Amino acid sequence: MKKLVTILLLIGFIAVGAGNRPVYAGEIDLLLQKLVEKGVLTAGEAQQIGTETKEQIKAEIAQGKYSSLPEWVQNMKMKGDFRVRYQLDHGKTSDAGVTSDRNRGRVRLRLGWDTKVNDKIMVGAGIATGTTDYTSYDAARSNNQSFEKGLAKKALVLDYAYAKYSPFAWASLMGGKMKYLPWRPTDVMIDNDITPEGAVLQLSKKLGKANLFLDNMAFVLTETEPTTHNAMVYGIQGGADYALTDNLSLKSALSYYDFSNVKGRALDGSTGTNTRDPYQVPGSTAAKSGLYKYGYKIVTPAVELGIKNPLKAIANATGLSMLDIEKLSFFGEYYDNLAVHAKGTGFAGGFGFGNEKIDAWGKWQVQYVYSMTEKDSILDILPDSDRYVGTTGIRGHKGSFQWGLGKNTWLQCALFRFENINNSYSTFRRAPTTVMQVDWNMKF
Amino acid sequence: MRVFGKILLLALLMCSLAVPCHAEKIVAEGSTTVLPIAQKAAEVFMNSNPGAEISVRGGGSGVGIASLIDGTCDIADSSRSIKDAELDKAVTNGRAPKASVIAMDGICVIVHPSNNINALSKKQIKEVYTGAVSNWKQLGGPDEKIVVVSRDSSSGTFEAFGTLALDGAKVRPDALLQASNQAVASTVSRTPGGIGYVGLGYVSSVVKAVDVDGVKASKQTVLSNQYPIGRPLFMYTNGAPKGLAKQFIDYILSPEGQKLVEDEGFVGLK
Repeated sequence: MKKLVTILLLIGFIAVGAGNRPVYAGEIDLLLQKLVEKGVLTAGEAQQIGTETKEQIKAEIAQGKYSSLPEWVQNMKMKGDFRVRYQLDHGKTSDAGVTSDRNRGRVRLRLGWDTKVNDKIMVGAGIATGTTDYTSYDAARSNNQSFEKGLAKKALVLDYAYAKYSPFAWASLMGGKMKYLPWRPTDVMIDNDITPEGAVLQLSKKLGKANLFLDNMAFVLTETEPTTHNAMVYGIQGGADYALTDNLSLKSALSYYDFSNVKGRALDGSTGTNTRDPYQVPGSTAAKSGLYKYGYKIVTPAVELGIKNPLKAIANATGLSMLDIEKLSFFGEYYDNLAVHAKGTGFAGGFGFGNEKIDAWGKWQVQYVYSMTEKDSILDILPDSDRYVGTTGIRGHKGSFQWGLGKNTWLQCALFRFENINNSYSTFRRAPTTVMQVDWNMKF
Repeated sequence: MRVFGKILLLALLMCSLAVPCHAEKIVAEGSTTVLPIAQKAAEVFMNSNPGAEISVRGGGSGVGIASLIDGTCDIADSSRSIKDAELDKAVTNGRAPKASVIAMDGICVIVHPSNNINALSKKQIKEVYTGAVSNWKQLGGPDEKIVVVSRDSSSGTFEAFGTLALDGAKVRPDALLQASNQAVASTVSRTPGGIGYVGLGYVSSVVKAVDVDGVKASKQTVLSNQYPIGRPLFMYTNGAPKGLAKQFIDYILSPEGQKLVEDEGFVGLK
């Protein structure tokens, strides 16, 4: 007993550390090994003492994380991601039909925090690389910064800042500049980097094997002087995520977006491909150039079918393990702007297959999407900025391949091939462009 | 004096009536590796302590630790160390898991007795379990498809094997998953091309344990860390063990309890 107490005191001294330096498990192991060699301890006693000491240190570190920090820090979760990209833009960009290439290096950094205010309220905020130049179509739809301008430093912007009140498990109200977008299987209609400003009421209910959801949203597009009304979008999305079987799932939603006070005005971040002039204020002879000619009231149904281990039986029968892919999915969406009579529809459809998560070396995913959006099917401040620089009136293909390099890091290659069908972005009609992106992604 | 004795007897009788005559009861839950130790020790302990009631359940190390964190068991039996995420959850639940090492174990790689393979390297074991090798002839054995048997993800044996033998690599998706050490041993014993892994206490004449990196699993090789797939076995309590839980764990760590550990096929600490 006396021997054990002496040894524990010695280990305790090392563990606490003269000068409070960090403990190394190896030091304890070395001491115990010496004590076994000298016959002071048996091998079993050494295993017991060493293991229990390490467990105690681990538990005290976990306790220590919480005992000395303020509660809001204890409840805070931080995360982020970093991406470095090579991008090639290839296409005819002039009336003379000259093909040119643009090669760019780009970088993106995003850092975010979530913290609990109390049991029902949380606050989230995030900063990212980006631009606040609201005249650029990139400002809302991209966090990339290019390697350019003589090694100049890059800006960090407020990406999102919002609060979320969840009085019940089935209801929550969010407000601010939000890290939120309604569900859709592709980013054709709404770029994934957009962080809308306004409020969202989310309702959900589990009904048998189905998870029902209903999102009601109101976002501000522009805020103007008191004499005119703000441009807003009011939206509602109802849908269900249904487990048909253990391996088959179906997610579908119907959404309606009413873009209020857009007709007859201009919006920042526009690519200018929706119909503009000629438009005149009734009773006036003056033309107002650059203003939206039509309103936008968009209905969009969307569906995604997911199949887990679709070829497992074939893989097992043939012994070809490469056929045993974890997930196969098919998806589609349709857009219809009810406020116009022509050139107001679009669609996107595609498939994806591979591993469900890219979280280790060798995990992979492939995805293909074909999309077509007529010039007034979608408001031109929203579409994915990689597809023909975020314009409407285009059609084309996107293929992507992701490959896991290890935990929290992966490579992605994406290829976009789009042509202009009826928009005014390029004076050279039907000028197809090819964009290739090679990304090295990391998250933490 | 007689009167005094009668008064004393009456007082003692009243005191015994005042003390509630209920048995103290604890629940031990978790690892199927630790289960035979816990069950045998509980049986012997309760025979010697009629007032004690110890209920022992399996379910896997993850299940036991989760129950300790939720407060639905008193002792979590575990064949792996508690994870950081579990510790964090315990802290937010106001629980303080404390580890008591009760034995050591070697995770043995087992094959069918008819298999002529007697030894495998860790590299070969990893290749078999990750799908890089699929036929015994690639390892110098018979021309027969390897049937890989593994454990489900709530198992501490699965976690320990994955860390110590596979370096965190994922088990091939066509592996047959079993819910307990016993089930793994049973499956391999009935499958000539089978390979599995079980705690040392589950190796019997119906299966054959192979040497790993040239080392046979034994008390000496496990305690000295020579055997590469050795691990401690834990009983976790909420804070330092107290009451019946302390008595039970102290019994397991006693010479009599450690003999019982070795009788069950594990490695005692004494």
